[in-house]
Amino acid sequence: MGSLLPGCGEQSPKSGGASSATALSSSADEKPRRGGRLRLGIIGGDQAGNLDAHKPFNTGSIIRGFALYSKLWEWNDDMLPKLTLAEFAEPNADASQWTIRLKKGLEFHHGKTVTADDVVFSILRLTDPGLASPFSYLVNAVDREGIAKIDEFTVRIAFKKGIGFSPLPSLWVNFGGIVPTDYHPVTNPVGAGPFKYKDFRPGERSLFVRHENYFLNGQPYPDELEILDFKDQTSRFAALVSGQIHLANAVSPDQIALFRDNPRARLLVSPTYAWNGFYLNTAKKPFDDIRVRQAFRLLVDRGELVKRVFNGEGRIANDLYAAHDPTFNHDIPQRLHDPDGARRLLREAGVGKLSLELVTNAAGSNAAVVFAEQARRFDIDLHIRQVDEATYNGSEKADWAISTGGSLGLPYLAAAVSIDGPLAVANRSNFYDARFHDLIHQALKEPDVERQKTIVHEAQRIQHERGSLLIWGFANALDGVSPLVGIQAERSHFPTWRFDRLWLREDTA
Amino acid sequence: MSKASHLDSTATGETQPRRIFGTILDQLPSWLPWVLLRLLSGMGVVLALSFIVFAATQALPSDPARQILGPEADEAAIVLLRTQLGLDRPLPIQYLDWFSRVARGDFGVSLDSNVPVSELLARRLGNTLTLLLCVVALSLPLALTLGIVLALWRDSRPARFFITLLILVKATPDFIIALGLMFVFALNLQWLPAVSLMDPDRSPLAQAEFLVLPALTITLGSLPYLIRLVRTAMIETLESEYVTQARLRGIPEQALIFSHALPNALIPVIYGVALMLSVMVGGALIAEVVFAYPGIGSALNSAVQMRDLPLIQGAVLIITLSVVLINLLADFLTVLLTPRLRTAESKVLNFWRRSYRRAVQPDSSRGW
Amino acid sequence: MSASLPKRIAPPPHWRLILREPFARTGLVITLAVIVFALAGSWFSPHSPHALLGTVYGAPERAALLGYDYIGQDVLSRVFCGGRSVVWMAAGSVVLALLSGVGLGLLAGFHRGWIDQVVVWWMDVLHAFPHLILVLLVVSMLGRDPGLIVGVTALAFVPGVVRLVRGLTLGVVNQEFIEAARLMGYSRRSVLFVEILPNIVPALLIHAGTMLSWAVGILAGLNFLGYGVAAPAADWGLMINENRTGLLIQPWGATIPAILIALFALGSNLLAEGAARASSRLEEQG
Repeated sequence: MGSLLPGCGEQSPKSGGASSATALSSSADEKPRRGGRLRLGIIGGDQAGNLDAHKPFNTGSIIRGFALYSKLWEWNDDMLPKLTLAEFAEPNADASQWTIRLKKGLEFHHGKTVTADDVVFSILRLTDPGLASPFSYLVNAVDREGIAKIDEFTVRIAFKKGIGFSPLPSLWVNFGGIVPTDYHPVTNPVGAGPFKYKDFRPGERSLFVRHENYFLNGQPYPDELEILDFKDQTSRFAALVSGQIHLANAVSPDQIALFRDNPRARLLVSPTYAWNGFYLNTAKKPFDDIRVRQAFRLLVDRGELVKRVFNGEGRIANDLYAAHDPTFNHDIPQRLHDPDGARRLLREAGVGKLSLELVTNAAGSNAAVVFAEQARRFDIDLHIRQVDEATYNGSEKADWAISTGGSLGLPYLAAAVSIDGPLAVANRSNFYDARFHDLIHQALKEPDVERQKTIVHEAQRIQHERGSLLIWGFANALDGVSPLVGIQAERSHFPTWRFDRLWLREDTA
Repeated sequence: MSKASHLDSTATGETQPRRIFGTILDQLPSWLPWVLLRLLSGMGVVLALSFIVFAATQALPSDPARQILGPEADEAAIVLLRTQLGLDRPLPIQYLDWFSRVARGDFGVSLDSNVPVSELLARRLGNTLTLLLCVVALSLPLALTLGIVLALWRDSRPARFFITLLILVKATPDFIIALGLMFVFALNLQWLPAVSLMDPDRSPLAQAEFLVLPALTITLGSLPYLIRLVRTAMIETLESEYVTQARLRGIPEQALIFSHALPNALIPVIYGVALMLSVMVGGALIAEVVFAYPGIGSALNSAVQMRDLPLIQGAVLIITLSVVLINLLADFLTVLLTPRLRTAESKVLNFWRRSYRRAVQPDSSRGW
Repeated sequence: MSASLPKRIAPPPHWRLILREPFARTGLVITLAVIVFALAGSWFSPHSPHALLGTVYGAPERAALLGYDYIGQDVLSRVFCGGRSVVWMAAGSVVLALLSGVGLGLLAGFHRGWIDQVVVWWMDVLHAFPHLILVLLVVSMLGRDPGLIVGVTALAFVPGVVRLVRGLTLGVVNQEFIEAARLMGYSRRSVLFVEILPNIVPALLIHAGTMLSWAVGILAGLNFLGYGVAAPAADWGLMINENRTGLLIQPWGATIPAILIALFALGSNLLAEGAARASSRLEEQG
């Protein structure tokens, strides 16, 4: 058995891992090679997903969307929006209108030129109540009547009741695939992305071929792209090391040690601002008391959570999301593990022995287990109830006293609008603070980043002093990569989805 | 149990051929009610299950609309999708609607992937059946040979050792066998692909390298059971009166085994294989998950998790239909192989008794 | 077979007779050892099964002889504490299946007629649905509650028990001594409990042993697919699932619980095997 289990005598990972992994992006001067079929293995779970640009049901669908559809913006290497199909996009003085101009000569997969009509069609489709896209809420503020075509390549977008919407790019980019007016998600899944549709077997695989007229010259590099669905991390790892797939995105942190000194697959580490934390529900006892919320934020041992839940691949957070945003307030001191302070606050709040139910989904389970053990030292009994995704996102989600949470590292306003701000659909922690809401509304109206900064700084101070989120860490994105793949590390979530940049060093069968 | 009872009719020797020939002619029409009744009851089973599952999925605490739209969806979108999917109508009407469309061959469209259910399931069923075919082709000869050998050497030391080994295999959870095979043959020896990423445009049989590990996993899981059936039946037959008589009449041992004992041992094997197949049509889930094999079991499991009603309904219909047909086929084969049953006066009365026999599970009432 | 005296088929094999079978002896020893280990293990646990002591998949050391698991908990302590749920859940589902299956089987076999047909038909319905999917369906609907898991696992076994009991009852009911008992004026109930039930006990016991090993397998499979007992419980099945990704890094977290579960299934299998041998030997003698 010994030879089967090469890792059995090995010391477990310290906090490193990044060191062994960053080596592979050293090939900066290597010229990308054309050709081959690139294979990416994803964990699709039970949801097969679809090809719809505006209604992708799961991560798998979103990844496929990255291949099929281009957007006006895309996330840059630092998880901030940058122009792609658009050559110009600016708001007016109070951000109540955006003017967007397309690049010339863009082409869809079926040869049609990308025009303003397609942009109008795409935003109308995304916000169409009849489509019932789960992501339409992100751009709910868009006034469907107020979308105007200025000329063949220019579009103007206005917002309901004239509210400001400065974060339009970061809210629209994820699900803003530009599709032609004759688009159909099943019979005509056409976009302007780097690869075009060839075959889709739900829950199994999907096949795409190179878009010859992609807007970046010479890109993408591979002839074909195949995305394969797995249900099990171990099987996917086996497929990666045996060469059946080239890429495995979002590797589970406890697999890190498998990549150490492994000639057949390497780990690509991308530091991101994907936040992990707990919602402390201000509408429920005992979290209606600020002192209890603050006590929880002091009793948590963030370093230990990062060490155990991320297996060291991440950084501690300061109860605030979007630390990569240029408006982020870096002057707020990092909250540290302070047992005495926590005990004092709990005493002041008159809280003796606490017993609470901590609700989690599968993704938050490990954090819940570790945090429950930490809380036990404070006479707080957190009983973990793990629920399936349907229940976790169901109608009770704002009724739980404490639940786990986390999301991609979106820019600040985009995150605030969807998590605890005034427009948030799923405000799990029922955080309503008049001044905070006021500030967010002000920031939405403010297109200038420097002036936005002062507003956001105050909003973040409020969140830090009396907010409802316990954000303990930012996770690194971990991707398994075959030595055959040319790929760059970045500070975003999706180095393995940059289908226009990835290339194969040699052909495999 | 009266398993030996159907054997004595064959013991009377010389009159046999004429009798069988005669009875087939006489009794041919009287098969019909039996087969029809079995078929009817089978259809009843299929319908009942399809309705129960339909009702159960509706009783789920979370509805398909919410499950599909995911985390951030607002209530308005969910209500709208529910109406679009027709989920706001009363349960019996939804069911009748589904049923009438299925009767016209329309299984609907998967809520999850927007792909026609019939297209999805046809391929998955094809994969599952191919896999099971390989399993049968692998396990049937193995079970017969090993079963006979173990029966002939019943109390020898190697036989005991081998039996203990089989019990050990039987006691090992499926996924450990699956992962073990993967580690040895794919990761260490690198003889076979780790996961079954089959080319959807080619027949599964044309890419047999992907079938080996899943088939081996299922075979190892069911082989102990089948071997034991063969062995028990062989021992029983070899010790039966008519074989003893035949032996006394000086018929050579080899002829005894292959022309007398083996045909009788086949009957429980048919039941065993039928039982195994009926479990595996939908239940090869673990092998499918570990090897990423696109079979019908994992499709149903995913559909259940996603509350993908059309897909659940379609998969349940196909799986239960397969189970019913497999059992019917097994019963039919047994009738053909067993003269006594063919000549029994009242098949219809015997009907229920026949249907339970299949799974009396000979393994648990009789030892090795 | 000339005796006109009422004769019972396969009288219950005496315990001593069963224990004379080497299979049964080995099986008994293994099963008892696993059960005792599972029930008493928590007393020997060096740490709390939830304590966060080591690093993620930390290697074995003196403080943790089997190393640490996916989150840094002591594997040995969790092994000591994690058997109880496996044992009671497996045993619970078998007992539940036996109780309901025997009831229905006796009912069907004893009354025959339409009751019989209805019961058998419903068992066909239950049988036509894949066990594992049935359990997954219910668990995903109603949550990962241990009691619920036990209930549905039992449900999957019921058709098997019903068929067995019904078949045996039909066999016994047709025997002369039952007819004789009835003629002598014994009530139906006493015929059922005094004459029939004892006659089917040996076969049931043997079947129970087999079911126990199936139950262990199903429960382990459920955990593998992520539908078993939920974290943070210490449970062998759950441990296999939690530490599966670490199989190639720190194997003990997954393999030791797997070995213990397999041993439990092996023991019950051997026990059933031995009992079956004893019973068939007895039949030969009689």
